[in-house]
Amino acid sequence: MYPSNPAKHSKESRFQTFALVALAGFGSVGFGLLRLQIADHEEYRRLAQENRVRLEVLRAPRGAIFDRNGTLLADNAPSFNIVFRPMPAESIARVRTTIAPEWLARVSGLVEQDTAAVREWVRFANRSGQTAVLRRNAPFSILAAVEETRGELPGLEVVVEPMRRYPHGTLGAHLLGYAGEINEAELTERKERGYRSGDLIGRTGVERTYEEMLRGQDGAEFVVVNAMGKRVSTLTEGPPRPPVPGHDLVLTVDFKVQQALEEVMADVDRGAAVALDPRDGAILGAVSRPAFDPNEFSRGLSLVRWRELSGGGANPLLNRAIQGVYPPGSTFKMVTMLAALRAGVARPETRLHSCGGSYYFGGRSFGCWKRTGHGSLDFVAAIQHSCDVYFYQIGPRLGLPRLEAAARELGLGERTGIDLPGEAKGLIPSEAWYAKRWGAGRMPKGLLLNLAIGQGELLATPLQLALMAAGVASGGQPVRPHVVLRVQGDGEAPAQEKPVQAGANADPSSWRALHEGLELVVAQGTGTASRVQGVRVAGKTGTAQNPHGDDHALFVCYAPAEKPTIVLAFVIENSGHGGSVAAPRAGQVLKRVFLPDSVALHPIVAAPVDTTEVARGD
Amino acid sequence: MVTRGGLLRLQLPTLDVTMALAALGLVLIGLLTVYSATSVPGAHEGLWSKQLLWFGMAVGIAYLAAAVHYRVYDSLAYPIYGLAILMLVLVLLVGTSAMGAQRWLELGPLKFQPSEIAKIAMVLVLARRFDDPKLNLRRIRDWFPPLILMLVPFALVAKEPDLGTSLSFPVILVAMYYWAGMPGGQLLLGLSPVFNVGLFFFTGSLWWFVAIFALMLAWIRPKLGTLLVFLALNGAVCVTVPKLWDQLHDYQKRRIETFLNPGQDPYGAGYQIIQSKIAIGSGGFVGKGYLRGTQKGLSFLPMRHTDFIYSVVGEELGLIGALTVVLLYALVILRGYRIAAAARNRFASLMAVGLVSALFYHVIVNMLMTIGWAPVTGLPLPLLSYGGTALIVNCTQLGLLQNVALRRQEY
Repeated sequence: MYPSNPAKHSKESRFQTFALVALAGFGSVGFGLLRLQIADHEEYRRLAQENRVRLEVLRAPRGAIFDRNGTLLADNAPSFNIVFRPMPAESIARVRTTIAPEWLARVSGLVEQDTAAVREWVRFANRSGQTAVLRRNAPFSILAAVEETRGELPGLEVVVEPMRRYPHGTLGAHLLGYAGEINEAELTERKERGYRSGDLIGRTGVERTYEEMLRGQDGAEFVVVNAMGKRVSTLTEGPPRPPVPGHDLVLTVDFKVQQALEEVMADVDRGAAVALDPRDGAILGAVSRPAFDPNEFSRGLSLVRWRELSGGGANPLLNRAIQGVYPPGSTFKMVTMLAALRAGVARPETRLHSCGGSYYFGGRSFGCWKRTGHGSLDFVAAIQHSCDVYFYQIGPRLGLPRLEAAARELGLGERTGIDLPGEAKGLIPSEAWYAKRWGAGRMPKGLLLNLAIGQGELLATPLQLALMAAGVASGGQPVRPHVVLRVQGDGEAPAQEKPVQAGANADPSSWRALHEGLELVVAQGTGTASRVQGVRVAGKTGTAQNPHGDDHALFVCYAPAEKPTIVLAFVIENSGHGGSVAAPRAGQVLKRVFLPDSVALHPIVAAPVDTTEVARGD
Repeated sequence: MVTRGGLLRLQLPTLDVTMALAALGLVLIGLLTVYSATSVPGAHEGLWSKQLLWFGMAVGIAYLAAAVHYRVYDSLAYPIYGLAILMLVLVLLVGTSAMGAQRWLELGPLKFQPSEIAKIAMVLVLARRFDDPKLNLRRIRDWFPPLILMLVPFALVAKEPDLGTSLSFPVILVAMYYWAGMPGGQLLLGLSPVFNVGLFFFTGSLWWFVAIFALMLAWIRPKLGTLLVFLALNGAVCVTVPKLWDQLHDYQKRRIETFLNPGQDPYGAGYQIIQSKIAIGSGGFVGKGYLRGTQKGLSFLPMRHTDFIYSVVGEELGLIGALTVVLLYALVILRGYRIAAAARNRFASLMAVGLVSALFYHVIVNMLMTIGWAPVTGLPLPLLSYGGTALIVNCTQLGLLQNVALRRQEY
C-alpha cells in the first residue's frame, strides 16, 4: 500500500510529531500565562489599577535644507502647542458627559478656537487614543493662561514640538516648498507608511519630492500618568524608542545667485527666473513671482488666507519657473538657426531677401519687428538683430520635422525631469499634432513662418528655456536639471538621473556661427542691457505675443561665452520687451556673480535700448 | 436526503463528540467575551447577537460540510481552488480596505475575506495532489507542484498585505508534505533556505546558519546529490540576500522591517501588546470576574473583541479561564490530528491534517501575540473572536474534520 497509504506505524509516529509540536505550542502559551498572571501579577495589577499607561510621541525633527555652500534654508524651531491628551478609561465618560459643555466652552475660549472644532478634536483623541493639537504655536499669553488653569482642565497640556522654519522667508520659497500638517485624505492614504495625525508632510517643492528623506522616524515612550493625566514615570516595558531625525538636504542652489535673482525680480508682479549650471544641470537659483512665505504654513493658515494663496488670479503657490508655460518668442530663434545651419538650409554667410520691414508669403504680409527694415543681412547678423524677415524665409525651407527635432533635442516640449513636483510639459507641435487639429495635410504653410520666430503654438516653461540655452551653450550636451546636490547621512548621493532630452548634434562651424551670433546680440544687438564689463555674455531676447494682454518679456543668456558656467532665463509677464525689461535684470545678476565687488544693485530702469523702433517682436 | 451508503449519509454514533463539545465550549466563551468586551460605552455594543447569528449560519454550513461525502470535495478540489484564486485576484482589484490592507470582498450585503476561503481550497487541492499514487516525495522534483499550488494564494494574500494569514499557507504545506510521507530530514533541508534568510535577518550574520546547517547535515546525512542541491541553494541565498538588502535605501529597509514585525511600530501594535499584557497580567489567578475587566474599557485597545479577545478572557477569567481555553483548543487540535491518523482514506487523512494545521497555526499565533511573544499580525482567534467569515470558515473546517471522522473506516 505504501506510499499511497503510509504504513500504520509510520502514521502513528507522524501523529506523535504533530502532537508534540501542538503540546509545545500550547505549553509555551501556558508558560507565558504563568509568568504574566502569577510571577509578574503584582506589577501588572499596579499598572492596571493606575490604569494609565500612555504612549507619548517623541517627534523626530525633519531634516534641514542647505544651499550648496552650507547656508541654512530651512530648519526646525520649537513650537509651543496646546494639546488634549485622551483621558484614562473612567475619565472618558466624564469628559463626554458632565464636562462637555463648560469644559468645552472654557477650553475653546482659552485656546481661541472654534467650539465645534475643539469638540471634534477631543472626540477624535478619545476615540483613537492619540493626542490632539488644539492650538499650534500658541503665543505666550495663551500659554500662560493654560498654565494658570493647571489641574482644573484635565487633559489639557502644553507640549513643545518642532515646527518648520524658513529663515529667509519668501527666498527660494518655490524651490523649497513648504511642509504642513497632514490632512484627513493624506492620512488615510499614507497610514501604512506610519503617518499619524499631527505629522508634518511636504506639500510642494523639495519638501514634497524628498519627503521620504526629510521626514524622520518618530520615537515613542510609554509613560505612566496619574489621574489628571500628568506624567509620573516612564515605563521600562517596551524600551523607549528614540526618534530618528530626517536626513538633511544640500541643494544645488547658490544662495548668492538666488538672492540676486530675488532682488532683480522684487518689483515683478508675475514672472519667473531660472539660473542653472550648463555643465551639469544644477539649478543655481529659481524665482517665481508672486511669491509666498512658507512660514505661514507652519504657523497655521486661515481658510481665507489659504484660498488667497492657492487660487485667485495671481496664485502665489504656482511655481511659474516650472509650471508656467509661455511662448518662447525670439529666444526660440537659436533653435531655428541651429536646425537651419546643420541641415544646410542656410550657411552663416547666406544672404536671403533683404528685409524691408515685412515679408509676403501665401498672399499675406508678415511684419518684421523693425518696421523700417534691416536691409540685407547674413545669418549671424540676422540673429544679432533678431530680424524676423530672415527667419520667416528660413521656416518653410527648413520644414516642421527638422525644427521640431532640434527643439526636442534641446529639451523643449517634454518635462525636463527636474526633481520638483508638478512640472509642466510645454508644447512643441508636430505634424501629427497639426493633422489632428486641422485635418491631415491641411496645415497652413504660413504656420512655419510663425514657428520659426518662436510664435504660434509653441509653449515652454522658463526652466525649459534655460535648458535650451544650456544645450546651446555647451554645444548640444544634454543635462538633467536638478535641485538636490546630496542627501546627508544617507551614505550616497541620489543617483544622477539621465537627461530626458537627447542633446543636439551639429558640426563645429554651425555651433561657432550660432555662438558668435548670440554673443553679438549682447555686445551690439538687442540684448546690450545685459552687458557686463570684462565678461563675454551671449544671449537672446524675446518678446512673446500674448493673446490675453500685454507682451511677455523674455531673455535667456549664458556666460562666460568662451566657457559657460551659468545660464539665466527670465520671463516677465505682461511687461513689454525682452531687451528692455528682461535683459537688464540678467545683467544685474551676472554682475553680482562675476563682479561681486562691484557696487550694489541699481534699481532696474528701462535700459538704453532704442525702443522707438521696437514695434513688434525683437 | 439520507440514503443508505450514499453521499449524504450522516452517522451520529461515529461523530467525534469530544471535539464537537470542545469547539462548542470555545464558541460559547467567545460569545460571552464578545458581549463583555463590547459592554463598555462606546461603539460596537450588541455585537454578540450578531455573532450568535453568524454562529447559527456557521452550524448550518458545518453540517453540510460534514454531510456531503468528502469524495465530492476531492473531485471538486481544482474548481474550488480556481474559484478561490479568482476571488483573491478580485479582492486586490476591487476589494474594500480596512486598516491599510485590502482584504474584503463585497457581494451585495455580504462582505467576506477570500483569504479564509482560499485556505480551505488550498488544503483540498493539496490533499488531492498528494493523493496521487505516482507521487514520490523522496524525489525532489515531486516537491514542486504542491509548492506552486501554495505559492499562488500565498503571494496574492501577502500582496493585500496580510502577512499573518499568508504565512498560514506555507505552514499548511509543510504539515501536509510531512504527513504525505516526506522524510523529516529532507523536509528540514527543504526549509533550510528559509532558516537561512530568517537567521540572517534577525542576527545579521551568516555564521549562525552555517553552524545550524552543519548540525543538520550531520544528523540527516543526505545523499550526495541532495546535499549538493541544497548547498547550492543556500549558497545562492547567502550571496543574493545580503546584496539585495544592501542595495535598499534606509527607508525601504524600515518598511520591510515594519512589514515583517509590525510590533516595531510602537504607536499601533507595540502599544496594543503592552495593553494586552497589562490586561492579562492584572487578571491574576482567578481574574477580575466576568464583566469586571477594567482594561477593556480603554479605547486604546481597539481590537479587544477581535484580535485581542484573549486578553479580555485573561483579564476577567484569570489564569483558570485562560488555561481552560488553552485546554479546549488543545483538545480540538489533538482530536483533529487523531482523526487524521485514524482515517483510512489517504485524501481524507491529508485533508484533515491540513485543516487542523491551519487551525493550530491561527490559534497559537494569536495567543502568543496577546502574551507578547509573537508579532502583531492581525490574525483573529478562531471560534472566539468576533467576525462572520472567520467563524463560518472555522466551523466549516471542523465540519470537514467531522466528515472524515464519520467515514474513517472507508478506504
